[in-house]
Amino acid sequence: MSESPRAKRIHAVKFALLVSVVCCLLITGASTGLSPLQQANKRLDRQKNILKAAGIITPDGTPSRIQIQALFQEKIETVAVDDAGNFMDPSQGQGLSLYLYREKKILKAYVIPIESRGLWGKIKGYIAFERDGKTVAGFTVYSHSETPGLGGEIEKAWFQKNFIGKKIYNAQNEFVSVSIAKGGIAALPETEQAHSVDGISGATLTGRYLTQGLKENLKQYESVSVKLRQAYQKKTVGNDMTTPPIKETN
Amino acid sequence: MSNGNLTLKETFFRGIWKENPVAYQVLGICSALAVTVQMKTAIVMGIALTLVTGASNLIISLLRKQIPPTIRIIVELTVIASLVIVIDQVLQAFLYDISKQLSVFVGLIITNCIVLGRAEAFALANPPLPSLLDGLGNGLGYSLVLVAVAVVRELLGSGKLMGIAVVPQVWLEAGYAHMGLMTLAPGAFFIIGLLVWLKNSLPGASHEQK
Repeated sequence: MSESPRAKRIHAVKFALLVSVVCCLLITGASTGLSPLQQANKRLDRQKNILKAAGIITPDGTPSRIQIQALFQEKIETVAVDDAGNFMDPSQGQGLSLYLYREKKILKAYVIPIESRGLWGKIKGYIAFERDGKTVAGFTVYSHSETPGLGGEIEKAWFQKNFIGKKIYNAQNEFVSVSIAKGGIAALPETEQAHSVDGISGATLTGRYLTQGLKENLKQYESVSVKLRQAYQKKTVGNDMTTPPIKETN
Repeated sequence: MSNGNLTLKETFFRGIWKENPVAYQVLGICSALAVTVQMKTAIVMGIALTLVTGASNLIISLLRKQIPPTIRIIVELTVIASLVIVIDQVLQAFLYDISKQLSVFVGLIITNCIVLGRAEAFALANPPLPSLLDGLGNGLGYSLVLVAVAVVRELLGSGKLMGIAVVPQVWLEAGYAHMGLMTLAPGAFFIIGLLVWLKNSLPGASHEQK
């Protein structure tokens, strides 16, 4: 070719610009065009994780889209609470959101959304408590950027199932949250074991951040847990919590 | 590089068997280790990579006379990266659960040597149709190895195929245990190693005898 170096350079720049523009359009088109479907998938995935945390579906269950929506509709109520732990009208602005799991109008568990710092990005999930307000009923993660095989194990059932049955209060009724141990919990003193879960080897930092995040999130919801605990202790015999127990203590 | 003597059929099948990207060219091993615990993810990954290699080879080949040699690689990468992002978006929209399981590995197709390797070695020097077939053939060759490895790993590691339990409950009760190693990356190393050995020891399949 007898093109001058200058013409070649101009051609290269023109070509680069053209490729960039075409590729930009392609990506933008795909991402905006598919966005509604993706949002719907994400919403469904969150609902599935709420159901999983509450123990309504098993960790390895693969319910269909319709089953998830039906179960969520039937058993889960989305509510908001203010800083004092009282239920509030949705019209009064944004409070802390919370999901109540009721079986035949009896409160079985409540689910708190978790948003924690991780090693590489945010970890988002749910933690469910039994209606005594201190026993963990389940824990799930639906979004994270941790390394697959290391910190990424937080999304696996073997890690999550260890949370079940842990207490966030110690024997003195003080709030202690749940911690991810460094290594197995067998090495910990017995008093700690009820508030700790086995860590993931090779993912000490992920564990540390998640421990911190859980503590911060649960602290925010302390007022609700306290109210639920009081309500639960008051009526340990009667299980007929037809209304949110918080209203009864008011 | 001249491929003038190859028929279209040969171009297509060469990537699947004789010059299989994983078993012969030893490319794309990283993702072959990562996504072969289950058949489902292996199949989706295989389809995604086949689509990307096919489409990128076709596009690069169409542009091959216009691409300025000085910015050749970056243009190829831009095309491949755009295709991968589009595929990732499509997976998120239609196969959300699988897209979550594949996590970073779809995005990492961009760095899969098979895609850039085929674009560089074949598409730049050949017309669109052979390039498309070469891309698809290599993608299918990769998928074939992925699925073969996944079958062994899922069967031995968790006693399932496509997520359906195939090991009878009676065996488990009689003391049969799943092979935990197969669910971990080292298991895939062994299987891929054995596969490469097996393929190269078959008559007519070894490149060493040429």
